[in-house]
Amino acid sequence: MEGYVLALLALATLLPAFCAAICYVIKNRAVRNFVVVVNTLVLFFITWEFVRLLMGSNGSIRINEGSLPAHLGEVIKYLDVLLLGFIGYQGLKLKKPLIVALTLAQLVPVIFFEFFMGVHEPTAAFVIDYLSVVLILLISLVGPIIAIFAIGYMEEHEHHLHLAKTKQPAFFMVIIGFLGAMNALVMTNNLSWMYFFWEVTTLCSFLLIKHDENEISITNAVRALWMNLTGGVAFIAAIIIIYQVKGTLSVEDIAVAPVAGAFTGLFPIALGLLCIAGFTKSAQFPFQSWLLGAMVAPTPVSALLHSSTMVKAGVYLVVRIAPAFIGTILGDMVAIAGAFTFMAASAVAISQSNAKRVLAYSTIANLGLIICCAGIGNYVALAAAILLIVFHGVSKGLLFLCVGTIEQGIGSRNIEDMQGVMKIMPVTTIIMVIGMISMLLPPFGVLITKWLAIEAAVSMPLVLLLIVLGSACTVVFWSKWIGTVLTMSYKPKYAIENIPTSIKAALGILILAVFVVCVGIAPMYNALIDPQLKAFHLTDKIQLIGSQGGLWLTGGSNVAIGGFAVLAVFTIILALFIAIPYYLHKGKSADLRAPYLCGENIDSDLRGAEFMGPGEKPAGTLVRNYYLTGAFGEEKLTHVLNLIAGAIIMLMLGMVIR
Amino acid sequence: MGLMNTSRMKSPWIIHVNCTACNGCDIEVVAALTPMFDVERFGIVNVGNPKHADVMVVTGCVNPKTARVLKNIYDQMPEPKLVLAIGACGGTGGIFAECYNVLGGPDKVIPVDAYVPGCPPRPEAIIDGAVAALGLFEAKAKAMKEKAKKAAEKAKAEA
Amino acid sequence: MIDNLIISLIAIVGAPIIGGLLFGIDRRITARLQNRFGPPILQPFYDFFKLLGKESIAVNQIQMMYVLSHLFFAIAALLMLVLRQDLLMLMFIFAFSTISLIIGAMSVRSPYSKIGAQREIMQMLAYEPVLLLMVFGVYKVTGSFMIQSILDYPMPLIYSLPLVFFAFLYVLTIKLRKSPFDFSTSHHGHQELIKGLTTEFSGTQLALIELTHWYDLMILLGLIALFFAQPLWVGILIALGAYFLEMVIDNICARVTWPWMIKATWLIGVGTALVNIIGLYLRP
Repeated sequence: MEGYVLALLALATLLPAFCAAICYVIKNRAVRNFVVVVNTLVLFFITWEFVRLLMGSNGSIRINEGSLPAHLGEVIKYLDVLLLGFIGYQGLKLKKPLIVALTLAQLVPVIFFEFFMGVHEPTAAFVIDYLSVVLILLISLVGPIIAIFAIGYMEEHEHHLHLAKTKQPAFFMVIIGFLGAMNALVMTNNLSWMYFFWEVTTLCSFLLIKHDENEISITNAVRALWMNLTGGVAFIAAIIIIYQVKGTLSVEDIAVAPVAGAFTGLFPIALGLLCIAGFTKSAQFPFQSWLLGAMVAPTPVSALLHSSTMVKAGVYLVVRIAPAFIGTILGDMVAIAGAFTFMAASAVAISQSNAKRVLAYSTIANLGLIICCAGIGNYVALAAAILLIVFHGVSKGLLFLCVGTIEQGIGSRNIEDMQGVMKIMPVTTIIMVIGMISMLLPPFGVLITKWLAIEAAVSMPLVLLLIVLGSACTVVFWSKWIGTVLTMSYKPKYAIENIPTSIKAALGILILAVFVVCVGIAPMYNALIDPQLKAFHLTDKIQLIGSQGGLWLTGGSNVAIGGFAVLAVFTIILALFIAIPYYLHKGKSADLRAPYLCGENIDSDLRGAEFMGPGEKPAGTLVRNYYLTGAFGEEKLTHVLNLIAGAIIMLMLGMVIR
Repeated sequence: MGLMNTSRMKSPWIIHVNCTACNGCDIEVVAALTPMFDVERFGIVNVGNPKHADVMVVTGCVNPKTARVLKNIYDQMPEPKLVLAIGACGGTGGIFAECYNVLGGPDKVIPVDAYVPGCPPRPEAIIDGAVAALGLFEAKAKAMKEKAKKAAEKAKAEA
Repeated sequence: MIDNLIISLIAIVGAPIIGGLLFGIDRRITARLQNRFGPPILQPFYDFFKLLGKESIAVNQIQMMYVLSHLFFAIAALLMLVLRQDLLMLMFIFAFSTISLIIGAMSVRSPYSKIGAQREIMQMLAYEPVLLLMVFGVYKVTGSFMIQSILDYPMPLIYSLPLVFFAFLYVLTIKLRKSPFDFSTSHHGHQELIKGLTTEFSGTQLALIELTHWYDLMILLGLIALFFAQPLWVGILIALGAYFLEMVIDNICARVTWPWMIKATWLIGVGTALVNIIGLYLRP
């Protein structure tokens, strides 16, 4: 049994690494594609096996250090130093003193801590519980799909760049290796190992953002690197403090509810530092700029960073250690910081016309909501946090891939240019619209979690106000984007666009996943999330129950105090959205008229894109969306918001020191 | 008379098109909307949008430039629809009829159902004309149905 | 179960009839306020049936789908209300209904309907926080998000939530698109952006939008009645009173611009609601 688990574990982390190496060494396209597909299938299998094993276990799959190969700890130590050395080397090569300084700020404590303090590694090296499995599901299902998408995308991408020598081997190496590091990160129970994998993801994201090697991508990659290194410094500081205070590095033992009076001294500071590490990785305000800068990378990279890997590592860490600070002042401050990011990012997103930046801000907002829920820390809030990790990962991965596909189709990522994209790429457009609806409207998951978050935030009026204002802002930027994309004039027949098979497959699987997680919300909650919440040992009166195909909040007795029959509504909506077009299609075709343009239409033009201008010459009509740059402009707001967010984080540390 | 027909008679929404009028008739048309005459008594509302309108109230004579616009607005109105031409110009082109740039009344471009003569006609006369024209809706609706039927048959035959 | 079915049926059939009549009365009273005679009370129904009988014209094939989902989600929200479901989810479903119309209006290349849609989005930006805060205030008092528990609560909520109620009245003007907030589309006899949001909808589509508007009115008045529930008839009377107040406001106000509306609503609406909720926290 244990041997099998060990083999799975090795497969989940080392197989991607191995495949990555093959991708790099054998520079043959066919081989590479084959490796990517095999890697995907094996990761799917591993995920399935983990879920199966976990269901059969009593709450978690544990692997003790004894059963691991000997000296693994030693190896990781040396790799850690090697990794930091490599990052420092990159800093030197790019002549960035800040990076070198931040690397040194980690390297010195790491060497001191790992080699001179005689650390006892925790007995349970890997603990795979429900939260880990949820993350593994996300990483190993969405991640490989994005890799498959990249096969078709990168071909086209390099075609545009006219490269003399393809850089795809390195690209696929990093992407696949990334998945292995993420898998290891969510499975390990050893904080210092988690730190190692954490730094691996930092390095991977740096390499991926820098992939195109032009000036702007290098600038942005450096920014991503130094911000995440800052988080790394906080992480290593937290590790040292925790080891001093608690004498253990076992995440399990750290993430327990504090006994009365125990939440004093240095330990809360360490937790605060871990949260800050999470904030940097999850691109919370004021660290958001690295994720926005990451948009210069090819789309699969953005999709990967935003949906299943990288940013999810940050929220994973915060949710993981949440039981240790629930109900404390630190928890409250984390909730406020998260809610503030949610509101701020949603507000700034209104002013953006670049589709990828809108998506980026929306990601930041949703991560803020997850962190906010972890900070609120009651039963419903944590349920919302974990659910949102899943829903957001799937939907956002899909959306990035769609935007990437459309960008290659129309040559622009500006929302205004997407008017009438329905005509050129109907299938991609419909998939994208469903993806956007799944981020905004009932009965899809993201809204359900927003609903849960609001119902959970009742104990904190400030957090609630921020969430409420933020969610009003999300309505604005999503609905104007959906409206723009769906703008279309009459066309008798739609020709399905020609997109590469790999992209088709990726979009198809992800849209299916969006529906599956939505329809299966109740079973998924019961099977994977509820047990995890039970394992957190929360003492709330209000509980969340998944039944009748929906989620129901119950008070002390079994009376529902809130709830929503997701499945029922979903069925009705789906039935309507299939029945209505069918019925309309069967019914008489409407008589088509051009839009009203004060009688100045041009006769042959049914679209209304032109009107008869002065001097009987056709002139174009142009309507742009409102971006409210006066109120929500990025340049205007960013500094202020960063200051406030920085103040909140300072306050957070200050409060716990007291 | 039927529910649909009663409704049509009781809810004629108008669009007012000024086709190079001297504004005399327009003032009188707008006067009909005021509390003094209150055409909303008859359910008449000035919607200003051909896609919502049932009755087109057109003032003035037609010249080559306005002809295109008038035709376009008329085409955008859904059936059944009526056209009410107001004033002397609306009938024949009035005193401008012989001008080099005037084609004549609106009926040179679109089918007009009722004329309200006068220069300008009084609001009472305009209301009277509108209410009188409403009687034509029934026939118009019948014609619309027949046309739709024929179109459907034609489509069927083609398929 | 059977009870619920019957209640739902009555609501689906009854709500538009009452809503239409109320709009008829609205037009009559408005006319009287302007010293006119005004149309018959049944005028909204004449309009509705006339629109149904018009030739169906469209700008693209799928406009009708947006209109239908606009209607169906309004009905869904009404059903959630009469079946006493989760108040917060009701708000989201209700918002879905509006978003459907917005997307429908944006789906055509008409400048008027596009600008109208943008303004409607701005309206949502303004009133959505207030509605959510209202739900939250209700939870704070009753300890539940279920409408059932509001009805079971021994005291009318107005005693605990007077300012939230005021904020809701403010938002009601926006939701009903009455002056001074009728800038996304306007009502009979008024014009803004041609017809704004609804410019490119005609015939049956427009009839269904009118129908949805009647449902909307009933949902909003139903929410007002909730604030006063116990006994319900008092709530209904107050709801009608609030509607009369809206008519008066409609007639004495000039149209404002949307930036002004957002500022005012976030300041007055969110502000008053928040003051009320903070008061609830301070209350022993």
